[in-house]
Amino acid sequence: MLKFAKGVAVSVAALAMTAGTAWANPYEPYEGTTLVVNFPAHPHYNAVMEVLPLFTEETGIEVEVDLLQYMKMREKQTLELTKSGGDYDLIAYVVFSKADYVYADQLENLAKYFMNPRLADPNYDAADLIDAYVENISSVGGTKGYLPGPLDSVYGIPFGSETSILGYRTDIFEKHGLEVPETYDELLDLACQIPELEPGMGGLSSRAASGHHASHAFLLHLAPLGGRIFDDQWTPIVNNEAGVAAAEALKTIVDCGPEGAQTFGFAEAGAAFLQGRTAMFLDSTVFAGQVNDPSKSTVTGLVGWAPHPMGERRGSQTGGFGIAIPKNAENKEAAFLLMQWLTSKRVDKLIALAGGNPSRYSTHLDPEVNEKFPHMAIFGEALRHADPDWRPIIPVWGKINADLGTALSKVLTEDLDIQEALDGVAERTRVIMDEAGYYTWTEQ
Amino acid sequence: MAAAQIKRMTPYMFLAPAAAIMIVGLLYPIGYMVYASFLDWNPSQRIGEADFVGLRNYVTLLNDAAFRESAGVTLTFSAIVVVVEMVIGVGLALLLDRNIRGISVLRTLFILPMMIAPIVVGLMWRYMYHPSVGIFNQTLKEWGFEPIPWLSDSGWALTSIIIADIWQWTPFIFILALAALQSLPRTSLEAARIDGASGWQQIVYIKLPLMMPVLVVTALLRLIDSFKVLEVILVMTNGGPGLSTEILSLRISRTASEFRELGLAAAMSNYLLLILLTLTVIMFVYNKVVESRAQAIRQQAEEA
Repeated sequence: MLKFAKGVAVSVAALAMTAGTAWANPYEPYEGTTLVVNFPAHPHYNAVMEVLPLFTEETGIEVEVDLLQYMKMREKQTLELTKSGGDYDLIAYVVFSKADYVYADQLENLAKYFMNPRLADPNYDAADLIDAYVENISSVGGTKGYLPGPLDSVYGIPFGSETSILGYRTDIFEKHGLEVPETYDELLDLACQIPELEPGMGGLSSRAASGHHASHAFLLHLAPLGGRIFDDQWTPIVNNEAGVAAAEALKTIVDCGPEGAQTFGFAEAGAAFLQGRTAMFLDSTVFAGQVNDPSKSTVTGLVGWAPHPMGERRGSQTGGFGIAIPKNAENKEAAFLLMQWLTSKRVDKLIALAGGNPSRYSTHLDPEVNEKFPHMAIFGEALRHADPDWRPIIPVWGKINADLGTALSKVLTEDLDIQEALDGVAERTRVIMDEAGYYTWTEQ
Repeated sequence: MAAAQIKRMTPYMFLAPAAAIMIVGLLYPIGYMVYASFLDWNPSQRIGEADFVGLRNYVTLLNDAAFRESAGVTLTFSAIVVVVEMVIGVGLALLLDRNIRGISVLRTLFILPMMIAPIVVGLMWRYMYHPSVGIFNQTLKEWGFEPIPWLSDSGWALTSIIIADIWQWTPFIFILALAALQSLPRTSLEAARIDGASGWQQIVYIKLPLMMPVLVVTALLRLIDSFKVLEVILVMTNGGPGLSTEILSLRISRTASEFRELGLAAAMSNYLLLILLTLTVIMFVYNKVVESRAQAIRQQAEEA
């Protein structure tokens, strides 16, 4: 906290110095404006809340935050965005909402703001933003519609984004002379070896509960093992060899995992690791902040981090949140200024120091940040291999995701044959895609 | 003349506010839901922008294996829950319908589960069923038995939620049955005792038949409620593993929020409404038949 305060003090001082040299104030026209923003209750945004008062202090623009549980956010936003005059000037959106909002034409294209010399900061350095996050969260209209490409455009900026990372118990690994797994074969071997070496301990904590959680866990393995949900023609290929391998990996992990792993959600999987009931954890980086918090964790100081192991290729997840300006916002320009401020190099670092997830390469390499959070450099390395296309972001995905998650849950708990389960998913997915019009241009 | 007319109008004037509230508060939402079920409506659209698709949503649902499975789960759950709760609830009422010291305290204790918020009930049971730290598996292990996969096996998961529901809602039947028992005409019971009826005979031939109208309504209320149960199951299993505990109300909520198909969700709600309506009508018809038969017997007895 002290360090954070010092960081703030230094940056305020730096700002004062720049202000001292002739510096027009781009925030002046918007002084006294009150922005209403919608953020999720999430570790990253808790850190943002600590830094946010600085914005009002520097710019004179007030910010009112409506904090919601992140799964509830989409419902509320959907209502807000369909109104003719919305209450929100800036929203944080879960990555899979990107498709819905942009398709329904409810977000502002950011081009006109970055083109406006009165608003755009020339030192913003967009190239420093982590590519995979930008591709996953910001860009729309390129490849497959939801990825970047020659004709894409940008509707949001990654803010509170995450990738997947492997956490492991250094004490257990040392005790038995185990190597940190770099490939999937090593990972799966190790996951089942640990319960034998340490009776009562599970190998790897994974979520597996029916629905979204099982599907998420499967997708984590699908991309590194060389698979995809669709090919380039939108034909479901989830039931090919790579898909089966990913489902087998999930089953192995859950079978060698802690007791009751079949019903774990993200929170339970994390808790099992924090309570020392498993030796490894493979999921979102957002979890890292809790590991050394003694009120939540019994394994403080015993956890090492490594990049998501590779299979056929490297491909960790990309996800989390982005921020965007709704079409029906009242104070769009001031909202853009807040957005630019929050995602700038200086503030990205301040938020990281307060415990948030940075979205810039420079923050991951920053010595001050690394001193406080030594894992940050590894996370930055892992991010170079993050896969923006690890799961499709299309409006019908919610339905396919639920079906996939249910089928996988049946594989894990009812011993449904993997090939049969995935064939079923592929077949139903084809029907959903056909109804949604994805085969209008192809012969199926 | 005018005065007479006003007089005749008076009752309607007094009824008008209530009628207006009924129409606005009851018919409008139901009408809205029925209308929505004919639309292909995504929550990002205003209702006016949605496409009219006629009965397509209803047909889609009938061909949807997941919906059918979910309907099956709901029917199984409701049938088991209502039968077991009726048996235990009425049984308890028969046992406790007497003057023992401290009975009022006991009665209050019995109805406690019903007063706990559903989310809390769900959380409580989820922790009790927890595979390693839950009280059930800890006890089983202590006694040397194999732990049971309460929520992680699809067969057990349904059993587990049924147990939780029985725990929570048996008291409801218990208090209604007890109230019915205590309002039974003492004269017929006394007459039966004088005629030498045993305890069992009193229950089977006097108490239960006299309580029947109340019990039918109670069962019906429970049945309707059990079709709509959501929170406890949402917290305990969220429908899993697989679809083994995904009751209809949970499927409706997921269809609306996760799959973003409001029209389909509305159609599903209407199916649920139809099922409940049918059950209600059957129950009332049955009740009417039994009543009229009883009346016929009474008449015959009087004539003879």
